Amino acid sequence: MTVFSNGSETANLVASSGLLQQLWTANWNLYGNNDPNERLRFQVYSQENYNILAFVTSPLTLQADQADLASLSTLKEKFPVFELLCSKNNPTFAINKATILLFASYHNILSELKNELCKGPPYKPLIITGHSLGGSIASLFTLWMLNSMDLSKTKRPLCITFGSPLIGDHCLHKAIFQSQTWKSCFLHVVTNQDPVPRILLHHKPAHQKGVYKPFGTFLICCESGSACFEDPDSILELLAATASHGAQSQNPYQAMPSVDYGPVVENLYHRTFCKGATELVDWAKQPFEVGIIRQLQAIGVAQPQQQNIDIINLIKREKQLVSKTKLFDPSKKLNDMKIYMVYLEWYKKLSKNDKTGYYDSYKEKKGTCEFNVEVFKKELTNYWKDMVKEAENKPQKEGASFRIRWLGAGTNYRRMVESLDIAEYYKENKLNYETQGRSHHYIRLEAWLKEWEELLKEENNSGGKQNNSKKESVASILTIDSCFWAKVEEAIILCNLLKTEKFGAEEKVKKLKDFESYVWGLLTNYEVSSEIFLTGSSFMKWWKDWKAYKKTLGSSFTSPLDDFMESREYVDYDGGNWSPPIYTRPF
Amino acid sequence: MAVESFREMLKIDEDLTVKACSVAMKAHRSSDQLIQVENFSGSSSSEAVIFSFPGSGSEKDWFSDASFGAKSAKGSVFSEYLRSLGTDEAAFLNEAFLQKFEYIRKQLQDKVEEAVKGNKKIVFTGHSLGGPVAVLATIWFLQEYVKPQNAKPPFCVTFGSPLVGNHILSHALEREKWSGYFIHFVMRYDVVPRILLAPLSSIQQQFNQILNFFKLKSMSAGYESSEITNDASNFFTSVMRNASTIASHVACNLMGSTNLLLETITNFIQLSPYRPFGTYVFCTENGKLVTLKNSNAVLQLLFYSCQLSNETELQTVAYKSLRDHFAYESELKENLLGMQDVVSIDPLEKIGVADERINQALDDLGVSTAARLCLLASGESEKQKRKNQDKIDSKKPEIDKILKELESYRDASKDHKVGYYDAFKLQKSQNDFKANVKRLELAGIWDEIIEMLKRYELPDQFEGEKEWLEIGTRYRRIVEPLDIANYYRHLKNDDTGPYKIKGRPRRYRYTQRWREHEERMEAGSSEESCFLAEVEELRTRTVNGIIPSSDIMTRVQKLLGQVEEWSHHNVIGKDVFLEESTFVKWWKSLPPHLRSPYINAQVLSV
Repeated sequence: MTVFSNGSETANLVASSGLLQQLWTANWNLYGNNDPNERLRFQVYSQENYNILAFVTSPLTLQADQADLASLSTLKEKFPVFELLCSKNNPTFAINKATILLFASYHNILSELKNELCKGPPYKPLIITGHSLGGSIASLFTLWMLNSMDLSKTKRPLCITFGSPLIGDHCLHKAIFQSQTWKSCFLHVVTNQDPVPRILLHHKPAHQKGVYKPFGTFLICCESGSACFEDPDSILELLAATASHGAQSQNPYQAMPSVDYGPVVENLYHRTFCKGATELVDWAKQPFEVGIIRQLQAIGVAQPQQQNIDIINLIKREKQLVSKTKLFDPSKKLNDMKIYMVYLEWYKKLSKNDKTGYYDSYKEKKGTCEFNVEVFKKELTNYWKDMVKEAENKPQKEGASFRIRWLGAGTNYRRMVESLDIAEYYKENKLNYETQGRSHHYIRLEAWLKEWEELLKEENNSGGKQNNSKKESVASILTIDSCFWAKVEEAIILCNLLKTEKFGAEEKVKKLKDFESYVWGLLTNYEVSSEIFLTGSSFMKWWKDWKAYKKTLGSSFTSPLDDFMESREYVDYDGGNWSPPIYTRPF
Repeated sequence: MAVESFREMLKIDEDLTVKACSVAMKAHRSSDQLIQVENFSGSSSSEAVIFSFPGSGSEKDWFSDASFGAKSAKGSVFSEYLRSLGTDEAAFLNEAFLQKFEYIRKQLQDKVEEAVKGNKKIVFTGHSLGGPVAVLATIWFLQEYVKPQNAKPPFCVTFGSPLVGNHILSHALEREKWSGYFIHFVMRYDVVPRILLAPLSSIQQQFNQILNFFKLKSMSAGYESSEITNDASNFFTSVMRNASTIASHVACNLMGSTNLLLETITNFIQLSPYRPFGTYVFCTENGKLVTLKNSNAVLQLLFYSCQLSNETELQTVAYKSLRDHFAYESELKENLLGMQDVVSIDPLEKIGVADERINQALDDLGVSTAARLCLLASGESEKQKRKNQDKIDSKKPEIDKILKELESYRDASKDHKVGYYDAFKLQKSQNDFKANVKRLELAGIWDEIIEMLKRYELPDQFEGEKEWLEIGTRYRRIVEPLDIANYYRHLKNDDTGPYKIKGRPRRYRYTQRWREHEERMEAGSSEESCFLAEVEELRTRTVNGIIPSSDIMTRVQKLLGQVEEWSHHNVIGKDVFLEESTFVKWWKSLPPHLRSPYINAQVLSV
């Protein structure tokens, strides 16, 4: 398929939409509001369909080491909020010191503002804007908002900054880049005349490693036109290359000039219905390359004499970016996964007919099955491991909504397949699956289900499914606790130990009694598959052992499960006709 | 590329076209008459009747609100055809234009009947605001006369017409294969075809002056005014800026943008919903005619052919953009009858190949490299749609094979007295399990198709294809009962809700709508494939000694009536009448007065 580069179309869209003028005016007006003592000024402008929140700072000079990056870990106490940005695979990041200090000193006021803006419904969409260091504050505030908003209910905010210095390190970039939605909220406008966005470009802090790395989309503009880039390395290269004389390499500790973006955006606005200055002849053979070169021409860096831009590499990177961001869509494979689950379901059914149950069939590799269960198990496991990883890579808030969507299918998978993993584990005579052998993705899937159920409970206090229908369908369900069989195996081991060694018997008996009441609990809620009562099942083996042991202890050990097992009530349970007896004395 | 004449290319005679233009201009001048009818007998033997509509109006004849004045076609006379079938999204039409058409419809109908009786070819035409009325009249004629009565297909020729509806209008006309009947002439600089790319709020300040200028100009062709210069420049600038926004937005999507920033920004800006459709004929300044059919490409050209080389041109071009609106008649007389070149830039993929004629034509329209890239992207996007369809078409044999297997599964289940629905629900034998795998294999293929339809990634004609309609209906009837069985087997109705409301997959909803459209049935009347879902819902409400509410009783009676009818038409299988089937068991539990002899006979016969 032919690939195109649409940077200049994006730039055109932004320029002709009139948004930039509107936002710049909001910033500019704020400079007129006097209170020179206030280092940070902001205001909400209410528009018909959305609000604009603008930030500017009073004229500023960086002090001491304020051009450096401050790692989040050193700031943790003041900013628990930004921890939310971190994901498991990207635990920390660093932010420019001056920015974070300024943000910190206004933390309480900004927090109030945020709460005010997040209030709803109805939610009014929000554009956050800022100039210079005010732009950096706008970016941080936007990240904060993104964490607090429920993006399924409200439109995501848009952050457009003018001449903002670079803000964070590569970890911050990565944290934002991993979320398609988050990175789509930032547009940074930079003119070739402005030194401020470039002061931290080559800044090497004295005692720290790490350099600045941009995030979001950059709209780089000059007299002759504008261009949009997203790849951070391309942006760094172009920020340097487009700098006009005087904007090139200002010392970060000089007073920051205040560049007026009014004429810049006005010029862009006017250019939209004029043709570009340069025309290419050989345009159709490599549309992507031509698209990039057109953009470089527009910002005046495509001339052959331009030595500081590696055009070939830049094109390569941009192309990679396009292919990399082909959206991850797990739904495509979901139908395949459903098919694999049907195979396993069939396997389960066949094993039930063998009077063994699929857990023990798999463990003993008994029974004949025309297909290879392991292949399906492996495919499913790989798929769900990837899904869990994907969810963990996202910032917490967004990861949550991703998880909810796939949780149903994931839970089904866990309840079906984890038993097979347990079977393999205990077949190798290992111990303590739950604490030592359990795969990470099962733990996450289970934790997410718990979170989700908590949430549901808070929302509507409903007790879940009607017991009646649970009762009828109990023969075909998957046991709710996917670690059920691990608990059975441990109980069998305990029984065996009781036979051979007398030491610590009391504790073992207590554990076994706990297990027994755990099973009873599952039964009364119809949460365990009736398969466990098949003659060849490990559970029945345990029961035989345990019953025998209990006999040696005398009759004081009767339990509801005894009655249930002795009078073969599990036949009714399997048939969907069993109701738990009502006991007057507590068990 | 073979050089074709205008007639060969557009299937309409040059002299008829020129005549249509004269009639349209005449109608524009005599705006007191709502419909002008003229007979035409040209050099070729064909006779035609030309209907034309007046072209002037005030602000409210353009915009019904301060934004773009578009309204859903749902509930209008166009609701049956002007929609996307599967998604059931209605097209959006300009509300003021729709009202105007409604206003003349009765009168038009009488005159049209006459022409149809005479078996004459009908041409609808209009200049300026007359264009949209001609367009709507043509669609109305196609749906009321051509489709049901096989009347001769009409032609619609517009001159400097504003846009009429959104992308679904274009999509629906393509699907019905009606697009070829529409020809729109646009002078390179005429501002009118571009006006609806801007919201009223952005041009309101000058709009009345501009309309006034048009009015005076239409009354006297020689009318000029220097006072309008300032307003003209501001007006032109606003329209073009908005045209740029929407053209860039569409181009980004055509180019396969992966940056969601576009989506975020879209939440905060106004984008015109209007899109072109049919064949556009652009008139260059040097007397050439350039034709183009692809809707996205036309939109790009509407913007790019009007771009300025530099800002000093502004005043001249802006004034020209008003004057050119009245240049059609002379332009066509001179160039169309003068057998000037007509260049077609379809198919668009060719645009990259060095074709001198096409290159020259694009140069004549003054379009830049940027514009050419956008045109190329429009072509590539169309090509990709065709590729997608090829991929799907290649799966037909596989679908057919699996359907056959499921059909024999259904037939085999009859022997077991329960029918395949109940057998599948019980999942006792290996065949049931295999059928479940097949169900999911088909679901995979169909979900992919549906996903593409939802994103408009298949050619517009796809939903009108007979073969897909047939295979879709067959699929729905044989497989949907299995989905229903699966749904109720897992008690999903308990926590999710009734199948028909909460659980029914799109792959069945879409295919049902295809058939209902093709057979011109009422929406919802081809629900035979999911009647068992209704049985499952009613079953729990009519048994166990519960006295059903009158509401439930109505549903029971309705369903029984439908079952009789569907059975009568053989669209549901005999297997539902098997002794042990869910349906029969339920039916037998109903009070005797509800059990009709017809169903009784069916039950006894199997």
